[in-house]
Amino acid sequence: MTIDAALTDEQLETIQKEIFTNPVTQTSSFEPLDIVFDWTIWVGYRPGVRDNPGSTAVEAIEDILGLKLGSNEGVYTSRRYCVEGSSLTTEHLNRVAGELLANDIIQQWKIFSKKDWNPSSGTGIIIPKVILDHTPTVTTIPVDSDGSLQAISDERNLALNPNDIPVIRKYFLDKKVKKERHRVGLSDPTDIEIEYISQARSDHCNHNTFRGRFHYFDLETGKKEVVDNLFKTCIEAPTLELKEKKPWVISVLWDNAGAGLFDENHYYVITGETHNSPSNMEAYGGAITGIVGVYRDPLGTGKGSKLLMGGYGFCVGERDYQGDLKPHLHPRRLLDGVIEGVRDGGNKSGIPTTFGQVIFDHGYMGKCLVFVTAVGIMPAQINGQPADQKKTSPNDLVIMCGGRVGKDGIHGVTASSETFSEHTPAGHVQIGDPYTQKKMHDFLLEARDQGLIRFVTDNGGGGLSSSVGESARFSNGCEIYLEKVPLKYEGLDQWEIWVSESQERMTVAIDPEDLETFLKLSEKHAVESTVIGTYTDSGKLHITYDGNTCAYVNMDLLTAGFPQWEFEAQWKSPARRGLFEPVLKEPSDYGNILKDILARPNICSKEWICRQYDHEVQGTSVVKPLMGRDRDVNSDASVIRPVLDSEKGLAFAQALLPLYSTIDAFHMTTCTIDEAVRRLIAVGADLENIGGVDNFCWPNIQFHPKNNPDGKFKAAQLVRSCKALQEMCLTYGIPLLSGKDSMYVDGHLPGRYGESHKISALETLQFSTISVINNINKCVTMDSKSPGDLLYVLGTTRNELGGSEYYEHFGYTGLNVPEVAAEQFKKLYSVLTQAIEEEIIASAHGIYRGGLGVHLAMVAMGGGFGMEIDLNDLSVEDVDRNDVALFSESAGRFIITVAPENKSSFEKMFASLPFACIGNITDSPDVNVKGVDGIKILSVPVSDLKAAWQKPFGDLI
Amino acid sequence: MSRVNVLVLAGYGLNCDYETAYAFELAGAKSTRVHINALIDGSVQLDDFQILVFGGGFSWGDDHGAGVVQAVRFKTYLGDTILEFIDKGNLVLGICNGFQTLVNLGLLPGIDQDYKSRTIALTFNDCGNFQDRWVSLKTNTNSPCVFTKGFDQLESSVEFPVRHGEGKFYAEQGVLKRLQNDNQIALQYALPDGGLAQGQFPYNPNGSMEDIAGICDPTGRVFGLMPHPEAYNHPTNHPDWTRVREQMKRQEKLLDSGPTAGVRLFKNGVDFVK
Repeated sequence: MTIDAALTDEQLETIQKEIFTNPVTQTSSFEPLDIVFDWTIWVGYRPGVRDNPGSTAVEAIEDILGLKLGSNEGVYTSRRYCVEGSSLTTEHLNRVAGELLANDIIQQWKIFSKKDWNPSSGTGIIIPKVILDHTPTVTTIPVDSDGSLQAISDERNLALNPNDIPVIRKYFLDKKVKKERHRVGLSDPTDIEIEYISQARSDHCNHNTFRGRFHYFDLETGKKEVVDNLFKTCIEAPTLELKEKKPWVISVLWDNAGAGLFDENHYYVITGETHNSPSNMEAYGGAITGIVGVYRDPLGTGKGSKLLMGGYGFCVGERDYQGDLKPHLHPRRLLDGVIEGVRDGGNKSGIPTTFGQVIFDHGYMGKCLVFVTAVGIMPAQINGQPADQKKTSPNDLVIMCGGRVGKDGIHGVTASSETFSEHTPAGHVQIGDPYTQKKMHDFLLEARDQGLIRFVTDNGGGGLSSSVGESARFSNGCEIYLEKVPLKYEGLDQWEIWVSESQERMTVAIDPEDLETFLKLSEKHAVESTVIGTYTDSGKLHITYDGNTCAYVNMDLLTAGFPQWEFEAQWKSPARRGLFEPVLKEPSDYGNILKDILARPNICSKEWICRQYDHEVQGTSVVKPLMGRDRDVNSDASVIRPVLDSEKGLAFAQALLPLYSTIDAFHMTTCTIDEAVRRLIAVGADLENIGGVDNFCWPNIQFHPKNNPDGKFKAAQLVRSCKALQEMCLTYGIPLLSGKDSMYVDGHLPGRYGESHKISALETLQFSTISVINNINKCVTMDSKSPGDLLYVLGTTRNELGGSEYYEHFGYTGLNVPEVAAEQFKKLYSVLTQAIEEEIIASAHGIYRGGLGVHLAMVAMGGGFGMEIDLNDLSVEDVDRNDVALFSESAGRFIITVAPENKSSFEKMFASLPFACIGNITDSPDVNVKGVDGIKILSVPVSDLKAAWQKPFGDLI
Repeated sequence: MSRVNVLVLAGYGLNCDYETAYAFELAGAKSTRVHINALIDGSVQLDDFQILVFGGGFSWGDDHGAGVVQAVRFKTYLGDTILEFIDKGNLVLGICNGFQTLVNLGLLPGIDQDYKSRTIALTFNDCGNFQDRWVSLKTNTNSPCVFTKGFDQLESSVEFPVRHGEGKFYAEQGVLKRLQNDNQIALQYALPDGGLAQGQFPYNPNGSMEDIAGICDPTGRVFGLMPHPEAYNHPTNHPDWTRVREQMKRQEKLLDSGPTAGVRLFKNGVDFVK
């Protein structure tokens, strides 16, 4: 720890003893400790990188000494690693530092050999303090030609779309605009104005791809079609239609998160985000910033919502990758960092992380995916006013709460609107600070309950530029005094203050009369809140700095006149692309193939992740992520009891099936949604109450003959996926409560010979589902409960091995991708819901990736009992082989166990639906399966299955 | 007597305040969530309460040893107030981060009336990471601990979840001996069959010496534990609840709707004050 402050020896001794040294377990010294080593590696943060322990150290020092450190003083943490190994070289140590201990994007390191080490000065004093020595300056930007503005865009990394440039120029060259600007002392646009426009127009903020016009051409049928605006047609339209039909849908499509009715006094809210680009460069920092960031969305929904739970989805390259490509971070290291980031972000926020998934695929080597989902709850009313509604009005004060503004996070949104390359600015990588945010969360909820909040939104992508820009639309204008914004350090330009994405900040509108109360409450919670402006109805976004205007633009500039993006989309059917079913004769050793599939990375146990996530803080846990006799098998969904004195619950699940996109993203989408829905049905949810969140992550779809030759195909996959989403939502009746898209999931990776390769991710959709559970005491888990119980499979097993785990195991793709017959499936789902309601079911588990064989194993491992299974009894269509029966991934299916006394009532309920009793739960330690021809094909102890399933990652903690 | 008043601390990164307050309500108390600063600035008086709870969470981010900075703040602003509170016969409970805070304040172990020295530590788990899992606990029937009274009478062994990265109990042998001799070790990590975990992971989830999960001061009125009783405030919190329900159903019985072991722990405290 490096203390850069004028403290006396006595003060230093106090803090050493009272704060920084545990007398029972630790030693400390102001001199370098005398430790035996051959090498010392010192690792510290780079200047300006968020140092959370450093800042809590300042708080503690100030507290115990009763003083305030000056703005030039600070505390910085770093680590000294002592390495023994005399044969090691500086080169080795550099590798250890760079590839294991530090990430050069946020950290710096120094290596000392025993010989170089000076026992009295040690590493020397390194103070990573930001010294900018810069006078804030507003620069004007010439708009004399498209070319010059384009050049500025490239130079400043604005990522302006070439088609937007004439529109921007036209505005600033307009006579009336010029006259108005002249009056406030402006002529050509300022850098802060152009930055504001660039942020707001970025694909990240404005969803230009989803709002684009797609020229879709089906090469199979020759049919051409123009799809104008995927968002409007496939997401907004069905959701509005369903909102009309479902009174429980409270608020969708406008706020930071969507809201549904929990009970008459509460609304739940949900949203999902991705944080791919930053995580790809600095896994820990990116992921913690991602989860802490998504937690600000519910907090900024309505007049503010309390956080209830979080979910995660990680997609990375092969964990044991040993090939020649050199990603910035090896997938193993990247995954470790991402896991830890979400751990600290969730645990330190006091929000349970109740559900999540990990997918390994080579396509994510280029850019990893980090999905984070947040669920919150708000009272239906505050002081008799609807809590889900909010607006800003003229004269309301603009207040910034939480963290301070620094250079970090500048151009995050524009960077994530690009393919990753070595030129991507590193400055946008941050480290989230859940502690600061937790204080702010507690403060804002108390302020909300006192009726002090008129409007609240988070500062995420785009910083103040987005949050103030968007909130000022309600009042239709604002005046911002930029010099009032509290900074981490001096010397930021005005535009930097405006677009910085420094974390843990919210923008709040309050009545000026409430200011004193608000600030007092803020102080009690040790949260910084600052008035930075006033909302107006001037129709202008007006920003001043020390009294001088530096931005003055029409509030409606962003909504008017920008051209729609255009995409060519060309669909080639899988058969036309050369896909076919492999010629594969049935295996004879089913025991070993089942064990090997259970041990595949995308199937095997990932208990080590669940265990390091606090999944039961808040005391609400009903169905945990891991359940069963040994509490180690994944449940279908998680259920929480968010209102402690109510027996109602919220069920949550999500699904990811990207591999099906190798055949057709349409079926990838239908199967993903069906799985996410089935997961909720399995624990006891009712299809009527299910809402969804769509998170698209797609590779670049803009065709380019050299750089993106298959862009048209990827665009067609996106169109098909959106159409599937629309169809599924309407058939199942699932309103999309929230959703986001993240495009450009591609990366250019250096290879062995200095060449580089573009790696694109699979077209990926994470679909999250949420539902109110009317009585949690009736929830069902997936583990078999008792020997003698009957085992049923609901739904039909078809010859659908295309894209399956089984085919992937052999290196095949296949053609027969599973298809969803939603109309038929939903009848079965509603009967199952009724059966759970009537409490005649002992366990329910969906059949997902890996098929029947894998999921029978899950039910057996969960219960700790054996089973006797006869595949001949299975309800099938076009299936006459054991491998198809065991490993087909047909959608719409469940494994159900039922106590014998409930046999007849169960069978009666399902009489008109495809289902079959295929066996029973036994006392024996083995899973025994008879094949379609009545011959025993498999007999494996449950313990062997579990050993195989836990083997790959079982030793990780 | 009027209802027992419980003060549950909140703020600065604490995060189990809602459910802890709720569990105390179920136990018959009136509980209030109070921001640490409201206690310091005097807008809330400790004198109005009989039970003070340092709950779970990450106070000050736990960046400098779990509970350390929270302890510093209390010591600086409220040191003697808490000692007087204890002297009056009131109860202090520390759960997880709260236990870590009590240890850093020196309120535990309180050997020889010394409520100021740090003589024990809760340090990083041996397994090297944060762990969320349910553990079985063995109760010391001879312990003066107010909160665990009668736990040995429960039908099955007591189980609560642990959720921490720094829960390994560490003390010098001399201190450890005193704790044993004076029955200050109230709760220990156990095997599912009731025997002591004897350091075996994951039954002892953090490598605690002597499988220590919770200790009290010699009066039994100051108690700290790593497991979270407040997270077992409803039968459905228990990881086996659907399995137990199914067994009960087959015996034509209902799931036990009486207070959970978690609520009983709080009720012991409330009943003591009554």
